[in-house]
Amino acid sequence: MAVAMSGRGVAFIRNIAGSLHMRLQVLGGASQQLSCLHTSISLDDKHWEKNNRKVYPPQLPEEPRRPAEVYHSRRQIKYSKDKMWYLAKMIKGMSIDEAIAQLEFNDKKGAKVMREVLLEAQEMAVKNHNVEYKSNLYVAESFSGKGQYLKRIRYHGRGMFGIMDKVYCHYFVKLVEGVPPKPEERTGFDQAKEYVQGLKNRTIIHSL
Amino acid sequence: CLLGSLNIQHPGPLFLPVRTKKRHFIPPAVGMKGKKEENPEAKARAAGIVFRQQYLERPINIACSAGVFDPYIPPEGDARLSTLSKEGLRQRTEQIRQSAASQLAIRKVKEYDSQFSTKTFAEQAQEIFIEAHNALTQFNKEKLHSLVTERCYPEMTRGNRYKTIRWRFVESLEPPRVVHARCPDMVTKGNLYGQVTVRMHSKQTLAIYDRFGRLMLGSEEQPKDVLEYLVIERHLVNPYSRWRLHGKIVPSWAPPKDPVIKTVAIPGPELKPWEEFDALNYEVPKPAAVQWNK
Repeated sequence: MAVAMSGRGVAFIRNIAGSLHMRLQVLGGASQQLSCLHTSISLDDKHWEKNNRKVYPPQLPEEPRRPAEVYHSRRQIKYSKDKMWYLAKMIKGMSIDEAIAQLEFNDKKGAKVMREVLLEAQEMAVKNHNVEYKSNLYVAESFSGKGQYLKRIRYHGRGMFGIMDKVYCHYFVKLVEGVPPKPEERTGFDQAKEYVQGLKNRTIIHSL
Repeated sequence: CLLGSLNIQHPGPLFLPVRTKKRHFIPPAVGMKGKKEENPEAKARAAGIVFRQQYLERPINIACSAGVFDPYIPPEGDARLSTLSKEGLRQRTEQIRQSAASQLAIRKVKEYDSQFSTKTFAEQAQEIFIEAHNALTQFNKEKLHSLVTERCYPEMTRGNRYKTIRWRFVESLEPPRVVHARCPDMVTKGNLYGQVTVRMHSKQTLAIYDRFGRLMLGSEEQPKDVLEYLVIERHLVNPYSRWRLHGKIVPSWAPPKDPVIKTVAIPGPELKPWEEFDALNYEVPKPAAVQWNK
């Protein structure tokens, strides 16, 4: 008991000392920072949003028109990533109007958040990324990721406890200009044909 | 005495030590609620760390004025009359003679810069203009800052960071002329800035491509005739200052610009719940023809 207390105490003091040192550095370095006006601080630039900064060289008139791509995300949504995945898988490949309509009438909590994200992305596409018609977009990629969790104690009987995770997730979406691509339909007959072809392609190597 | 003691009610103890199960894991957030920080300054002083003197004020150097003072109002039909005809000549001679304030301003500028002359300055202005736009196509920030004032820089570069601009100066149709000059002073009385307006008529090609390389505006092969009124400024009191592009004046009678290649939705009129929108008879409101400074 005493050992654990002292261990935690030492860590506590080290923590305080560390934060104090950082605070002192900030106070001391603040005067240097003020002197240069043009320094910019990047606040945790995440990778998905950086995709929006990619610039392609101008296209020649003979080339087919490159479709516009817009990347958008929302971080630390108070929802489970597994529950979010069901919604993300549902709207993948849909046109944006259809996706927004489906999410509007879905009862899940994540659907409301997702709908806001899609509307934001649509507005961004029209305003900043030179997309002509706001309905001419479809959802190319949509998926959810794990956010940073908070930990709490969950009390059980007989003095037992469990660590409870307060769950957060991120949601990422990529909109592409154009008509949504049709998924290829493979009938049973096609699959059977391919199977038979595979069987016919078998040979015996190094034979006479 | 015993009877008296039976009626007395003692309140229970406020804090009863209770033996609980030992917690092996306590999340970091549990102890943080009532934590007050002791002041780190005293600790630093005790430790012997000394800081430099911190100034709450900072000197700011203003190198350009905020706008165009007394903007030049170009007369209507400026580009249509050529200098060779009688009408055109009369207009030209009237203009620069009339402006007494311009003459005063030019004299003030010559006080600070002895080599200033209206004839050579116009050529210089055109060169500055061409170099500035070339730097804009390459997006060379340092060169652009030296050729263009701080007020003009955001106007030139707003929204252009993720776009490709291709600009070419084909030829100059008329020699550039100085038409207007003013010497306003900012903040204190002696802090003079010289602003000179130069008129130039030239052929240029402009093509803007968006982030994905698709053409947004203009074309690379088709040159256009452009009549422009450039405002060039210099901070006269500073001996190391340079003449830099400060802005453009767009007259009220200027022809409308080319439309963007994509279709844009114009917001319709605000309707009450019972009103209907009549798409056929609706006229798009045109903006008022006012001279504005770019």
